[in-house]
Amino acid sequence: MSTISRRKFLGSAGLLGAGAVLADGARRRARADKPLNFSGWVFKPDTVKDYVDFYNKKHGGQVKYEAIPWASYHSTMETRAFAGEVVDVMYCNSANRERWFENGLIRALDDLPGMDELKKKIAPASLDSLKNRDGSKIIGLPYFNSIFILMYNEPMLQQAGIKAPARTWDELIEQCTKLKRDKVSDTPYLPNWNNSASGTMPQFLSDCFSEGANVFDAKNHVIVDQEPGVARAMERWQKAYAAGLVNPEVLTKTSSTDTHRLFWSGRYAYHTNHSYYLRTIAGEPENSKLAPKKAKMAMYPGNGQTHMFTEFYTVNAKTKVLDDAWKFAKFLGGNGNGDWYVQRQWCLIAGLDNPYPEMYDHPEIIQSYDKWVDLKLLREQYKKGRTINAFKESWYSEYDTKAIAVVHNIIRGSSTVPKGLKELVALQKSLA
Amino acid sequence: MAKSGAGGLRLSEAGFAWLLVLPVVVAIGLVVAVPLVYSLWLSFTDVNLLRGGGPALEAFGVRLPLYRWVGLKNYLQVFDDPLYWSSLWRTLYFVGAFVAEATLAGMGMALVLNERFAGRPLMRSLLLIPWSLSRIVVGLLWIGLLDFEFGALNGLLHRAGLIDSYLAFFKDGFTSLNVLVAVYMWNQAPFATLLFLAGMQSIGEDLYAAAEVDGAGYWQRFAHVTLPALRPILFLVLVLCTVNAFLMLDLIYILTMGGPGYDTTTISWLGFQTTFKFFKFGPGTAILYTLTALCLLMTLVYHRLVLSGFEAEA
Repeated sequence: MSTISRRKFLGSAGLLGAGAVLADGARRRARADKPLNFSGWVFKPDTVKDYVDFYNKKHGGQVKYEAIPWASYHSTMETRAFAGEVVDVMYCNSANRERWFENGLIRALDDLPGMDELKKKIAPASLDSLKNRDGSKIIGLPYFNSIFILMYNEPMLQQAGIKAPARTWDELIEQCTKLKRDKVSDTPYLPNWNNSASGTMPQFLSDCFSEGANVFDAKNHVIVDQEPGVARAMERWQKAYAAGLVNPEVLTKTSSTDTHRLFWSGRYAYHTNHSYYLRTIAGEPENSKLAPKKAKMAMYPGNGQTHMFTEFYTVNAKTKVLDDAWKFAKFLGGNGNGDWYVQRQWCLIAGLDNPYPEMYDHPEIIQSYDKWVDLKLLREQYKKGRTINAFKESWYSEYDTKAIAVVHNIIRGSSTVPKGLKELVALQKSLA
Repeated sequence: MAKSGAGGLRLSEAGFAWLLVLPVVVAIGLVVAVPLVYSLWLSFTDVNLLRGGGPALEAFGVRLPLYRWVGLKNYLQVFDDPLYWSSLWRTLYFVGAFVAEATLAGMGMALVLNERFAGRPLMRSLLLIPWSLSRIVVGLLWIGLLDFEFGALNGLLHRAGLIDSYLAFFKDGFTSLNVLVAVYMWNQAPFATLLFLAGMQSIGEDLYAAAEVDGAGYWQRFAHVTLPALRPILFLVLVLCTVNAFLMLDLIYILTMGGPGYDTTTISWLGFQTTFKFFKFGPGTAILYTLTALCLLMTLVYHRLVLSGFEAEA
C-alpha cells in the first residue's frame, strides 16, 4: 500500500478546491448572464414548475422558481428584502400588496410595454383591484380571481322533496330547518366561517353584499353599524348557529380548503365558499361523494351580489433585469404566450378563474368547466361580484384578522348583533 | 497570565483554558447573544423591515438597522391592550394545566417503566414515538382522530353504539383549549418520562433496601426515597415544560388558529401574529419579551419551591 505525504495531500486538496471553484465559474457563464428569481407561496408547486420550465425552454428564460409555505410567505419575502436580496417576480396577496408598494419593494407597471393593451382585456371591477390606493397606478398583474358562490347538494334536496335550491336567505334557513327536523342532515348548512383570512371575513362581506349593504364607505371607513342589511345577515347567522344548523367546528377550521372538504361527505345541503372549490366537490369522484356534479352552484341568495377578489404577481422595484422580469410577469399574469397559457392552466387544473373574459370562449375551458360547474351561471355570478378598496389600506390586514373574533362572538351569541357591529367599527378606528 | 520565555509565549492554565473555549464563546455570542440583544433592542423601536435606512450597526458586511427609538411605547401599548391580558390569563391556564398533566403523566409512566416486566424495552422505545414526531404531524394526526366529520374516534364511538351523533371536540373555546392541552401533553409527556426514568435509575438500590427493612410500603418508598432524590429532575421537568408551554405555537396554528373568537389565543400566538402577520415587529417583540420574563420568573419560583435546601442536603 502506498503512503501519501502531508505535503502531497494538501497540494492535491488545493488543486481539487481550485478546480471546483473554476468549474462552477465556467458553469455559471455557460448558463446565462441574467438569471431571474421568482417566488410564490405553495400551491400546486409542480404545476408552477412545469410552466416555468415551459417558459425557460420556449422563451429562452433563465427563471429560478422557489415555493415558500403560505404561512410565512410574506414575512419571508420582507426579511429577504431586508437582507438585500432581490426576488424579481413575486406572488403577493391583496392584504400586503399596498404595503409592499408604499415601502418601495414593488414597482408600478403602467410604463411597461404592453400594459395598456392588457388593461383593455381585464374586466373593469378586477382592473380596479390591480391599482394602488389612489387608483393612479397598476401595481400587479392577476394571478387569479375568485368569487363566493352558493353550492348545494342536489341528491339531498331531492331526497327531502325540495324541488329547487333556495333563492332567498329565509328560504335557505327554512329548508335547512326542515332537513334537520326530518333527520336528513344533522347540520345542513356549511358557511365558510373558518378562522383564516380566506374564511369568515370574505363570507361576512359576501352575505352583507347580498343583503344590499355596504361594509365600507367611500373613504374605506367601516360603517357596518349603520347598515340594516349587515344586521340582518348577522341575525341570520346567529339564528342558524343557535338552531344547530351549522357544524360548530367550522369556527376552528384553519383554512377554506379544510372547510370545503367537509362538504365532500355529502352530509350537508348548502355550502358557501370560493368558486374554485366546487371543482373538487363536484369534479373529483375519488375524493368527494358529491362528484360527478351532484353538487351544483346556484345564484347567491338575496340580490345575488357576493365578494370578489384578486391575488397578484408583482415586479420587484429593484430588479436589475426589468425587461426579463416584465416579460415573465406578462407570461404569468397576462397573455405573454399568446394563448393565455398560464391562466388557462390554472383554470383547467384548479378551477382558478381570471379577470380576462375572452378566455372563457376557449373550447378547452368550456369543456373542462362543464365537468364541474354551469359556466354560464358562474360568469353571471361574476357580473354580480363586488370588490372592496379597503384592502389597500395599511390597517386592513390587522383589521381583517382581528374582526374574525368579533364576528365569531356574534355568531355564537356571546355578543349581541348591535354590540358586535359597534366593536367592528371601533376596531377599525383604533387601527386607522 | 501570559509569560514570555525562551520557548515563546507561555500561558497559565486558566489562560490556556480560556484560549480553548474562546472560539465557542465567540460563536455562541454571535448566534445567541447578538440576536437576543438585537431583538430586545427592536422591542424599544418602531420597526419597518422594508425601511431599513437611518442609523445602523455595520460589521463584516452585515448591516443591522437600529430603527427609531420609541422607549417604552411598545410595552405600554401592549399592556394597554385588553387582548393581551385576556391572552395572558388563557396562557397561564394552558401552562398550568399542561405542566400539571405532563409532569404527573411523565412521573406515572416513569414509575411503570422503572419496574421489571416482559416487554419493557419495547415499551420504552414506543414511548418516545409521540415525542419524536414533528408537531405539525402531531396536529394533523389529532385532527384525524378528533374531527367532527371524519374523526376516527367519533367513528369508533358511533360504531360501538356509545354515541348517537358525532361529538364536536372543538365546538367551543374552553373545550378547544383543553384539547390543545391534552394533545400537547400527549406529545411532550414522554420526554418528562425519559428524564424521570433516568433520575430513578440513578437512585441507589441500597436506599430502597433500607426503606424496606424499615417497613416502608411502595408509596412510602416513593414519597420518602424516590421523590426527594428526583428533586433536581423534577425542577428540570417543570422548567422545560413551563418554557415549552409558554412558547407553544405550532399546535395552535394547526388545530385552531387561536379561535373560535380569541378563545385559544395565547401570548405566543398573539406575539406571532403581531410580528409576522401585522408586521409590527416592535410591539410583537415586546409581547414575546414579556413571555421571556414570565419564563424567568417561573424558573425562580420552581427553584425556590423544589430545590431550596437540596444542595445543602447534598
